[in-house]
Amino acid sequence: MRHIDRQLDAPYLMRHKRTIRWLVGFLLLLHLAALLAGFLAPYSPTAQNREFPYAAPTRIHFVDASGHFHLRPFVYGMEQSSGDRQIYTADSANVHSLRFLVRGEGYSLAGWWKSNLHLFGVDAPGKVFLLGTDAYGRDQFSRLWFGSQISLVTPLVATVISLGMGVTLGAMAGFWGGWVDEVIMRIAELFLAIPWLYLLFAVRAALPLSISPVGAFLLLVTLIGTVGWARPARLIRSVVLTTRQQDFVLSARAAGASSGSILRQHILPQTWGVVVTQAAILIPQYLLAEVTLSFLGIGVPEPTPSWGNMAGSVQQYSILTSYWWMLAPVMVIIPVMYVYDRLAAALHEPVKSSA
Amino acid sequence: MRKLRLIVLLYVLAGAAAYGFASPPKDHATPEDLLTTHNPVGRRGGRLVVSQHAEAKTLNPVLAVDRPSREVLGMLNADLIHINRLTHRTESALAKSWKVSRDGKQYTLQLRRGIRFSDGEPFDSQDVTFSFQVYLDKKSNSSQRDLLMIGGKPIEVAALGPYAVRVTLPQPYAAGDRLFDGIAMLPRHLLEQGYREGKLGQAWPLTATPAQIAGLGPFRLKQYTPGQQIALERNPHYWKADSKGNRLPYLDDLVFLVLPTENAESPRFQAGDTDIISQVGVKLFEDLGKDASQKYRLQDAGPGLEYNFLVFNLNDDVAGRLPAIEREQKWFKDLAFRKAVSQAVDRQGAVNLVYRGRGTALASHVTPGNPAWMDSRLQPRPASPEQARKLLASAGYGWNSEGLLHDRADQMVKFSILVSSNNQQRTVIANLIQQDLTKLGMQVTVVPLEFRSFVQRVLETHNYETAVMGFASGDTDPNGEINFWLSSGFNHFWNLGQKKPATDWEAEIDGLMEKQLTTRDQKARKKLYDRVQQIVAEELPIVVIASPHILVGSKLKLKNFEPAILGPYTLHNVEELFWEE
Amino acid sequence: MAYLVRRLLHTLFLLMGVSMLSFLFLQLAPGDYVSEMLLNPQVSPQTIAAMRTQYGLDRPLPVRYFDWVKAVAHGDLGYSFAYNLPVASLLGARARNTLFLTISAAVLAWLLALPLGVLAAEQRGGWYDWVLGMGTSTLLSTPDLLLPLVLLIFAVRSGRFPVGGMTSLDYSDLSAAGKLHDLVSHAALPVIALALTTLPVLVRHVRASVLDAMATPSLLTARAYGIRKNGILLRHTLRLAANPIITLGGLSIATLLSSSLLVEVIMSWPGLGPMLLEAILGRDFYVVIGAVMFSTVLLTLGNLTADALLYVVDPRTRVRP
Repeated sequence: MRHIDRQLDAPYLMRHKRTIRWLVGFLLLLHLAALLAGFLAPYSPTAQNREFPYAAPTRIHFVDASGHFHLRPFVYGMEQSSGDRQIYTADSANVHSLRFLVRGEGYSLAGWWKSNLHLFGVDAPGKVFLLGTDAYGRDQFSRLWFGSQISLVTPLVATVISLGMGVTLGAMAGFWGGWVDEVIMRIAELFLAIPWLYLLFAVRAALPLSISPVGAFLLLVTLIGTVGWARPARLIRSVVLTTRQQDFVLSARAAGASSGSILRQHILPQTWGVVVTQAAILIPQYLLAEVTLSFLGIGVPEPTPSWGNMAGSVQQYSILTSYWWMLAPVMVIIPVMYVYDRLAAALHEPVKSSA
Repeated sequence: MRKLRLIVLLYVLAGAAAYGFASPPKDHATPEDLLTTHNPVGRRGGRLVVSQHAEAKTLNPVLAVDRPSREVLGMLNADLIHINRLTHRTESALAKSWKVSRDGKQYTLQLRRGIRFSDGEPFDSQDVTFSFQVYLDKKSNSSQRDLLMIGGKPIEVAALGPYAVRVTLPQPYAAGDRLFDGIAMLPRHLLEQGYREGKLGQAWPLTATPAQIAGLGPFRLKQYTPGQQIALERNPHYWKADSKGNRLPYLDDLVFLVLPTENAESPRFQAGDTDIISQVGVKLFEDLGKDASQKYRLQDAGPGLEYNFLVFNLNDDVAGRLPAIEREQKWFKDLAFRKAVSQAVDRQGAVNLVYRGRGTALASHVTPGNPAWMDSRLQPRPASPEQARKLLASAGYGWNSEGLLHDRADQMVKFSILVSSNNQQRTVIANLIQQDLTKLGMQVTVVPLEFRSFVQRVLETHNYETAVMGFASGDTDPNGEINFWLSSGFNHFWNLGQKKPATDWEAEIDGLMEKQLTTRDQKARKKLYDRVQQIVAEELPIVVIASPHILVGSKLKLKNFEPAILGPYTLHNVEELFWEE
Repeated sequence: MAYLVRRLLHTLFLLMGVSMLSFLFLQLAPGDYVSEMLLNPQVSPQTIAAMRTQYGLDRPLPVRYFDWVKAVAHGDLGYSFAYNLPVASLLGARARNTLFLTISAAVLAWLLALPLGVLAAEQRGGWYDWVLGMGTSTLLSTPDLLLPLVLLIFAVRSGRFPVGGMTSLDYSDLSAAGKLHDLVSHAALPVIALALTTLPVLVRHVRASVLDAMATPSLLTARAYGIRKNGILLRHTLRLAANPIITLGGLSIATLLSSSLLVEVIMSWPGLGPMLLEAILGRDFYVVIGAVMFSTVLLTLGNLTADALLYVVDPRTRVRP
């Protein structure tokens, strides 16, 4: 019977493999780009332009006011209009050319390689804000790139912790059963039911002030990761439970293999599918957790950018309806989440159909 | 039968004895001493709907501490002497007139005769003495108690007859008449039994029925819907009338609607569901102004009393307990350092970014909203990082090769600014200061903490370096803030729990504040308080930054509406508001 | 019977654990109900200390916990500091509104998810399946906050729906039909927002369950014989898929309850959400504990109901260890 099913679905599975490859490739590229944030961003993420809060994305022109075409794109200078504070008019007499590979503010790549080369920039004193500016007049485009460093890495850290604990505890519960299983599973239930928010409040407030803001946030992430072991542990346990009863495990045990080696060589490899799928589910969850934490004021603190604290400003109805470019972080989060989600679905599918 | 009559007689006698004098005649013949108002005469009827960010928690004036409850209670109750929210002067309320003794310690109040609580029962001096007894009773745990304690001793209130009371202050107190503002007079006939049984705390919760509650305010309770609204109705016995003799209030109903976020508040005002909007964010205020089909007016009432500031932790009790902070206090205690910080802060930038221009940069902690007390010689100075650097350099600070600041002992200047994450505007102010100080080479981080964590650190453990906070007194008179300025005061944030003044200038402030407290001449008081403002501006224990404006919107058809810069900003003359036809 | 006893014991253990840890965490969070008054220039530290004593905040945690357990045994959930009212009466009024919202949303979500999921499984790999997959992924990727906000903007811009709240101001004066219409028009957007947050997960699970059921030998044989797209097949598939779907049903109520918090706060629905948020920030101790226990009880009840339903629907589960 299973044979029929496989044959029916062979091209389908092939297509799946291709999808997975594309999705993973996209994510790898994104992480690489995040590493190069300093190079891709034209400005420092904390540089404030107090005369230009909530400036709309800068328009890039090829044709100037007198109708001449320029091969090199340019932007106009901005000035605050007298009536409304946050409306800026382009000053067509003030032309600043856009150039690639320019020298600008210094930054460091991955913490050690110092440089001041940027992918693009405009001639001083012009400014180019590809995605507009925020309440402090900071360049959103630059902040998005720098923010991606925190927003992409922290979910990974938390996921590794969750899965590490989940696999260990789930495997123990499933393999040994009995009271070990009982205790671990009861605790897992408890962990799923508890309101963790207070603990986060408590820990954040108890941290010493001398700890750097990003360090404090990483600590919180570790905590979130630690708390999140229960769901994967339950799944791993059920996989281990079924594997334990299968012929090859029973025969290995009959042949006198030790518990440890059976776990390592025969049982844990069987859980790989679940682990990968869970990772693809947990990572985006933790990515969104950062947004929620920022909403509650215990996420990454200003002025360090993260997608979460950038998206936070959209909660305000008036900002959402007046400055569409403030939605940029959300517009970045959605596709990344989407890719992770498709990946989880794609990984899940073959496991399901061949089971 | 005779026995019964005897018992009744005894009962009446006992009652009279308890009263201490003969009962006032409680018939309807007593003419009512109505207060006549002078605003344009309006028209009866209609309903006013206002929104609140949180639900009122209790209808018990003795226990209420949260703002929503106080707002509602302000509609249900009245005080003896009231501070006019527009003139900032005291005016007659339940007390028709009052006299102050020569030594400034005795206030004799003549009460309005023949006026009634909202349930129709008469009001007299026994209600007044009962109310003060309740507020001053330690067991009541009323937050009003400390207000009525002067120099650590309670005020004394005695009835001089059915319509007169004498209030004795333990020591002379300038502007003692302002003490009575906001102290709600309670109906003895409804609360005394519960009070005697020690159950006052359980009285008048939100679930109380309208029949259980009575007050002297313009409105009375009609209906409470959990989580949604509190509906009030007109008090038919209210003691004010307009110049034509019509009894106030004009409005028949007043509804407080719970709208938990600003996101819900402004669309509903725009849709016409609510009639007044206040304390609205500047951005929302501006957006409301862009609506073409405006059926409402928007008013910028100018700066209120709120001032936002950066405070340095100068607490002496961190010594030995928190060594890291003790080390940093070397800088904070250095006047040149504080001056440099103040010089570097871009106050106008803060006004532009945080309040979008609808705020005022401050030079002193008294805002231009309080012209009677502000020392207008103090003016905010524009930010100057260069001068700040000069100040630091001449005080022995230096910069390393990366441009980072260090002190004389080569210790890098590195500290944090604590701020409550619940207040977005203050968080932005903290971030602006952070950026301004970074320009001086200081390594500053902003640490936003949830409100209660913030309060605990600043006020209880003193485990912080600097903090951005805001303060708004409920009164224009400096006595409202006396605990902020006295070195022994419990709101002396920068250095709490001082046995004797830690510095000479704090000792001088103590002297000035105590002197103005007993000075009765207004001009002399102003002079004393001007000096306090100058000392604070020179010594900079707090770096005052800016004050937000009071922004208010109301429907065009609502008349007699005038926003005040003292809370409650909009409903202070609710009895005079009316709907135009 | 033994199984039932064990389940009850588990539940009891869970409730004990949740309550103990909630007490502990709430205590760990800095500040308490009265600490806000420290900022009040008119309240002295002595008064604040007296208030702490009055509310019992100065007593050791274990003592307070056991007092609370004793009170709960007598059906008393403690007092709210802020409201001066019993927690049970506070929660009761608001829980009704929250349950009305979540149950309506659950019904709507299931009514949509069943046909959508079954159809997707039927046409697995087809364009319909693909579009639905894209749709569910997009919904799942949207931050929770955005959906109710967008609906709120829609309400303001269109002017067709009331902007937040549960009833109009004149609700009590309306006729019965008027009341119903008022309630439904107020509930429409919050229910849609809430249903949309759970819909993608439900659709996926229905689809997966139906797919699994179709892969069982009996149905594969039937399919191999060319029996396709007729009622009998669908009915068989659905019966087989019922088991996992019911299990999920129990869980979906609990997840809806937690995601309703955001919707309630943003759309000013007078449920548990706004009160709980305020109670957390205000450290209204017993209100928070009460609300947490309420949701835990609901979660376990959901699971128990699902198990009981399984017992009726699927005879195999009756011989569980």
